[in-house]
Amino acid sequence: MEPIISIRNLSKSYGTKTVLQDINVEIYPGQVIGYIGPNGAGKSTTVKILCGLLTDYQGTVTVNGLDVKTQTLDVKRQIGYIPELAELYDVLTPNEYLQFTATLYNLDREVATERIGKIMAAFGLESNVHQRMDTFSKGMRQKVLIASGLLHNPGIIILDEPLSGLDANSVIIMKELISRLAKDGKTIFYCSHMMDVVEKVSDRIVLINGGRIIADGSFEELKQQQGDKSLEQIFASLTAPESLSAAADELAKAMESRS
Amino acid sequence: MNIINKAFLKLALLPSPVYDRMGVDKRALTAILHIKLTMDDRRVSGLQQAQRRKSDKEVSSATIITMIVSAVLGLLYLMAFYIGSNIVTGLTFYFFMFFFMLSATLISDFTSVLIDVRDTFIILPKPVNDRTVLLARLLHIFIHICKLVLPMALPGVIYMGVKYGIVSGIWMIPMILLLTLLAIFFINAVYIVILRITTPQKFQNVISYFQIVFAIVIYASYQILPRMMETKGLLEFDLTTYTWSAAMPMYWMAVGWQSLTSLTFTIESVIFLFASIVVPLLCVWVVVKFLAPSFNNKLALINSSADGPATPVKLKKHKRSGIAEKLGTVLTKGNAETAGFLFAWRMSGRSRDFKLKVYPSIGYMLVLVVAMFIRSKDFSLATLADNGKEFRIFMIVGIYLMSLLLVTAISQMVYSEKYKAAWIFYVAPVAYPGEVILGAVKAIVVKFYIPIIVMIAIPGLMIGGWQALPNLLLGLFNQLLIAALLVYINFRNLPFSRKQNANLNGGSFIRNIGIMLVSVFIAMLHYAAYEITVVVCVVAVLSLIATWLISGSIAKTSWTKIKAEQDA
Repeated sequence: MEPIISIRNLSKSYGTKTVLQDINVEIYPGQVIGYIGPNGAGKSTTVKILCGLLTDYQGTVTVNGLDVKTQTLDVKRQIGYIPELAELYDVLTPNEYLQFTATLYNLDREVATERIGKIMAAFGLESNVHQRMDTFSKGMRQKVLIASGLLHNPGIIILDEPLSGLDANSVIIMKELISRLAKDGKTIFYCSHMMDVVEKVSDRIVLINGGRIIADGSFEELKQQQGDKSLEQIFASLTAPESLSAAADELAKAMESRS
Repeated sequence: MNIINKAFLKLALLPSPVYDRMGVDKRALTAILHIKLTMDDRRVSGLQQAQRRKSDKEVSSATIITMIVSAVLGLLYLMAFYIGSNIVTGLTFYFFMFFFMLSATLISDFTSVLIDVRDTFIILPKPVNDRTVLLARLLHIFIHICKLVLPMALPGVIYMGVKYGIVSGIWMIPMILLLTLLAIFFINAVYIVILRITTPQKFQNVISYFQIVFAIVIYASYQILPRMMETKGLLEFDLTTYTWSAAMPMYWMAVGWQSLTSLTFTIESVIFLFASIVVPLLCVWVVVKFLAPSFNNKLALINSSADGPATPVKLKKHKRSGIAEKLGTVLTKGNAETAGFLFAWRMSGRSRDFKLKVYPSIGYMLVLVVAMFIRSKDFSLATLADNGKEFRIFMIVGIYLMSLLLVTAISQMVYSEKYKAAWIFYVAPVAYPGEVILGAVKAIVVKFYIPIIVMIAIPGLMIGGWQALPNLLLGLFNQLLIAALLVYINFRNLPFSRKQNANLNGGSFIRNIGIMLVSVFIAMLHYAAYEITVVVCVVAVLSLIATWLISGSIAKTSWTKIKAEQDA
């Protein structure tokens, strides 16, 4: 099988600061990739490169055989990007915003209207469709963002911390949705800090630290390499230079008063 | 979207065959422009930001309001035509005002309206080519400038058309267009300079200082210009007799306009006309060629702190105690009060919202005092030094006028965009929230009121001698008493804990008016007793004691009386 995303010898630096060093990953259709790493490891940079937002990198990145650097637009058409931090134009209503998104993806207006209605209803937001989003909670905004990323039925979905602010029921819907979409042959690139969710939804985990891949494989494979531990523990043992319990110890001791 | 935006959108899309040939995706272009114009309609414009309280009502026709405001401003510029003995002088002033106001408006709009950092996350990941995005941005800027410039220019064009004939009116149009180009260049240059000297993170703060200065200058010109017009000198002022006027592009344009309408060309006027056409075009070329590319890149960095890992700031050796800490420990007792003091001191210096509301009012006060000097006809230091009526009025008005400032600062201190962070007061074991409030009020008094009183006291004592001192102290104590009363009656909010909105309850408004009336009343009593030093001294002591007692009561304000933001 041909890889749908192929990253070869990818390096990227801002000025003298190297963010990514020689990243090599092949991702196959239907895979759910859990892309994890500590803050500042280079996760967002990878995502930006995959989405075609950054094109001045070294190495080759292809999506479905298309070069991200030269065929950026064709790549963007196949990707659904769901950013974190609820970045959206909040003076608009969900309907206005999603129609706008649909137009940029060159989606037929009727198809868009139908899909918007269905997605919003599934999220329980049908009564808020014509309400401005500046009054929305974080979770409601996140749902609109998820809708905007799925609207054009992309083959590859890139999620950047998509569950932040969602309530427990919506989290369940999202987790089920991710497995359903993967079953339909969609590729999912999932960035998160929530190890328990990554452990459950991903069938392959890529761990980066300091711009390098330090682990790559299914959760089972990682357990074989690192011992029978939870993903959280594996993550800690690979990325934390010192013992974390020692740090916790120091924290606890800090509160002990001198007097 | 309203009819005006629809018309602008149609207009902007007229050359779409050309766009097609440029490889622009017309569908995406229309969508982006449509959404941008819709959002413009729902935003409070930069012009109103400084004064207007955010209302809970949804803004939906901001465009029309912006255009009306621009037209009114355009009407105000007509004032300039009363200046000077000839039309070139008046027109130069007109152009100058036009240029200044347009630049000031656009300077804040560029970051808040035209360059939206969210575009990076929303538009750029979509399959839209760069040319379309760039063209959409340029057209958006173009439409935005049109919305400001067209209504702003209208009164001037009509005025000139009526007074000097239709052709003269029409010649105003290209001149204003050139002036607009110059303003765009100017703003770009200012941005580049600001970005050179500060970090992109501090950029927004610098821009808000610009807005503050802008508000004060407008207020000052509003106060002082009409008075200056009454003086004869201004009416006979003639720019053409000065050589330095040749350094102003507005003067070139005025001369150029005159020679075009009167069809009299001298060597000098032709040179000016030529310069007024070539220089703005040259400036635009510089913008496009040199400034714009780096400009866009740098602007993208604004607010992009979320991008990449934050570079750790080098650990500075923390100063043991700054001025705030020292004052805080001296002026407050108890930890809650000290905490309130330091909190209000720091927040008032860093909250953009607070600065935008309070700093202009400090400026307004200073302008008012200056205007007072100018207003009094036979005002001189000699009459003041007599310690006579003028001096008394000056002192009393000077001191008591400042209570306006104190009231503004104290009532503004309640509001913050980050009002939700006030939870910390509720979870902390604070017995009396009144102590936090008292500490915060003290900080505001010391930071904003005392320096101004000192500024009044120094010239007051220099002119009036030591005899003025009891009166100064009485004024100061009375002010503190008024402030304490205001807080005691009105103030049931923790500092920076409320969301700013328009539906202030009428009750507190009436109470504020009441406070002002009390202030005026006290000022009048003080004026009556001014000469009798013994009374002044006794009342000053009484006033101080009353203030002390009331602060004690403020500190005892209990949790049950505190109003919190009700969040749905």
